[in-house]
Amino acid sequence: MDKFLDSLVLQLHCKEISNKIFIKNLLDFYKVKNLHELKPVLAQDNNETFIILENLLLKSEEAVSNNDLQYEEAEEEEEIFEEDLDDKYNPDEHKLKNLALICNNLFYPPENFSNVIGNIYRASFPRTENIAFFKDQLKLKSILVMLSDDYPQDLLNMYSQNNITLFKCPIQGNKEPFINIQDETINKALKIILNPENHPILIHCNKGKHRTGTIVGCIRKLQNWSLTMIFDEYRRFAFPKARGLDQQCIEMFNADEIEEYATERSWLPLNWS
Amino acid sequence: MNILTTRNKIIPPINFCPVEQKLYRSGQPSPLNFPFLSTLKLKCIVWLSNEDPEDSFLEFCEINNIIIQFAAINPDFGEDDNPWDGLNEKSIFSALETLLDKQNYPLLVCCGMGRHRTGTVIGCLRRLMNWNLASCSEEYRRFTGSRGGRILVELLIEGFNKDAVEIDETSIPDFILNTLNY
Repeated sequence: MDKFLDSLVLQLHCKEISNKIFIKNLLDFYKVKNLHELKPVLAQDNNETFIILENLLLKSEEAVSNNDLQYEEAEEEEEIFEEDLDDKYNPDEHKLKNLALICNNLFYPPENFSNVIGNIYRASFPRTENIAFFKDQLKLKSILVMLSDDYPQDLLNMYSQNNITLFKCPIQGNKEPFINIQDETINKALKIILNPENHPILIHCNKGKHRTGTIVGCIRKLQNWSLTMIFDEYRRFAFPKARGLDQQCIEMFNADEIEEYATERSWLPLNWS
Repeated sequence: MNILTTRNKIIPPINFCPVEQKLYRSGQPSPLNFPFLSTLKLKCIVWLSNEDPEDSFLEFCEINNIIIQFAAINPDFGEDDNPWDGLNEKSIFSALETLLDKQNYPLLVCCGMGRHRTGTVIGCLRRLMNWNLASCSEEYRRFTGSRGGRILVELLIEGFNKDAVEIDETSIPDFILNTLNY
């Protein structure tokens, strides 16, 4: 048996290297591009290592099925709030992809990802394949989620492994006819977002359209942007589901309190770099 | 304009968005946007349209010592160079060369509307940064407005050969360097 494979398997068992690095090394060693090509070669060359690899892949899939159950429960609770279908956490969209995906040396930013200003970023609900992007490219320190649901455990584990702090500031989306985001809630979120100690920070809800768009609109208000340009940006990210109520909420948001709070702490004005 | 200036509101250019720290994209800035542009402390602007920018914009750049790089290169100087044609490969590489030198930052990439030509260059930059193609395309289409994206632009982004870009690790911005050794 090959010494290189021996030491690789040992390193994996001692958790000295991650699953990803393990597979990467195997791919390099056999000079193949993906798992599909690797499996037959490895099975023939070294069956023991092949079985270890298979177990590794199997485990990552088991984790998905367990988590699916949790997501369904969380969703039922949410029914009470009559959330829009498009605004809901969709477990199918968040299934853990085959590990092969993260071995092809590409970055997977979340949907609707963008820089807002300086070290503040926005996106839709992260997926496990986005972690490498968060860690290696953005070097994220914290994430703010604006939902009340339980957070998927596999993501929580990955955040703590990578020293990313998760803040929760549940905001109920603006809904006809009577649900409005309160200034108080927005201020609470802004106090987390504007605090430089939390930077680089990523803000997200489900699609990165409505709640995230509303909060970003309020940040633009603090930058003294004209409302027309704020709405233009809001619609660009919310397309094709822009909500009039969100835009009204941005317009009616009274920034005085947070402005005073943030100026006292020299968090304002915000800097582009 | 009087109303706007007296009310003292900040007006970013059309389709303005930060791409990375110190790197921005937008459509052609107008005098309304100059107070905002000044806050970005730009060093360089990559102009991708094959039509010249408006005089007021050129003047703004001159006063503020901003270098404009005219990156749209017509390969044979013929008359077939239409505003609605996409960028050619030479233009993309010429624009990227500016983007790959950190001395040019803070930097703004713009064309007439900040949709297709700007989208092409930013899309190719994302490919260079090892982004997956779907994310490049999603970002491009976010800025293309109600008439949607152009397939030809997306084919350019997909066909972009990132290995043909010469990289000098000592001069490229950190946000790109971070992604290369991934």
